[in-house]
Amino acid sequence: MNVLLAVLRKDLLIEWRSRDRLVAMLVFAVLVVVVLYFAAPPGQEETARAHVPGLLWVAWVFATVLGLGRSFALELENDALSALALAPADRGWIFLGKALANVILVTTVQALSAVAFALAFGLDLWPVAGRLACLAVLGAIGLCSLGTLFSAMAIRTSNREVMLPLLMLPLMVPVLLGAVRCTQQLVATGELPWSPLQLLLVTDGVFLIISFLGFEYVLDE
Amino acid sequence: MNAAAEPGATPAIEARGLTRRFGPVVALRPLDLAVASGTTLAVLGPNGAGKSTLLRLLSGLARPSGGTLHFDGVGADRVGRRQRIGLIGHATFLYPALTARENLALAARLWKVADPEERASQLLDEQDLQAAADRPVGGFSRGMAQRVAIARALVHDPEILLLDEPFTGLDPTAADRLAGRLAAARGRRTSLLVSHDLARAASLADAALVLVRGEARALPTGALGSAELLGEAYREAVSALGSEGRA
Repeated sequence: MNVLLAVLRKDLLIEWRSRDRLVAMLVFAVLVVVVLYFAAPPGQEETARAHVPGLLWVAWVFATVLGLGRSFALELENDALSALALAPADRGWIFLGKALANVILVTTVQALSAVAFALAFGLDLWPVAGRLACLAVLGAIGLCSLGTLFSAMAIRTSNREVMLPLLMLPLMVPVLLGAVRCTQQLVATGELPWSPLQLLLVTDGVFLIISFLGFEYVLDE
Repeated sequence: MNAAAEPGATPAIEARGLTRRFGPVVALRPLDLAVASGTTLAVLGPNGAGKSTLLRLLSGLARPSGGTLHFDGVGADRVGRRQRIGLIGHATFLYPALTARENLALAARLWKVADPEERASQLLDEQDLQAAADRPVGGFSRGMAQRVAIARALVHDPEILLLDEPFTGLDPTAADRLAGRLAAARGRRTSLLVSHDLARAASLADAALVLVRGEARALPTGALGSAELLGEAYREAVSALGSEGRA
């Protein structure tokens, strides 16, 4: 637990000082909102609104991939990753610290870009804000758990920018399926459907366990 | 090869047939090694000989392709081993965006030291870095960063210290201070010192081995009498291992 907190604190402090990942992810997510706003055919605002839940997750997923790509870049300078790998603890705790820092970053971007979506498409998300926030966090956990593992795997490859989305996106289908279905129904009816929520919860659990256990080997040379 | 190990005593570090391959390239050929507790072994050799690979295998950063490792006669439990080992590597292992104090406090937290801030402050004092303690390490000179890196490796007062060119970038005062520390820890801490500085190696080590293209040879203890004797023995060993490798 000490190691988790130390890594989390370190990642957030470095991000707070540079803000480079947060700004890049946020600009990307807002750009997606702008593009989609102008892409919506005039006079069909209602149809566009129906697609907002799916579009939200499109923006969030790609912003997450962008942020995760940089997650281990800060560990490469001065080979700081070796110092983490030398820590006398199960390396799964290092994974949890980094994944949690990524979840915090992604949920910040999700919150701010959801406001941009609501304003651009005239949606009133306020009545479902609490449940939407829970869904966003659950989705972020799914994306960031396996994403953090793959980011660590990709960082030592020569073409890491290509490797991360190639490894990550195909396996994110169950997370996206669950999250998008839940968000669609939540925005439309104000209710959370149990079946896709179950899929999201189970996928999060499985991804977390696999990544926690796999991280020990990923940090080996 | 018995390096600095007394007959009958359990060595602090013992390797049997330790090997490391990178695909078809053999970075370390089967190596038998025993280092007695509290002694210093100098690991010498030309560039690309496998010295850093050996330290990374011993530290647990890399997995061996073959062979076994024992620490105080016990098989290498990776987490337990990492608790006992401090590594000063080629790179400083520091975060440029964090200050020297924050880097050391982070290391202290990772090694579960009781009072991380206090320990960081103590190490900054020892390295004469208090004046620069709250500046980001990214703005430090190579020598200053190396002093922080040395402090980082010592944060948990390790029983075994692995040093890969630790004098790199240090000014003469800092280099002498490090050499003094290493000399003072003899008998208490087991060290492996990778260095191209034969004078330092001769003055600090109890035994020496030479690595050439992954092949190791122990030098006679008498060679550690002076830098000249060590230089002579080193050149002979490099030449012999080189011709064996070509044969």
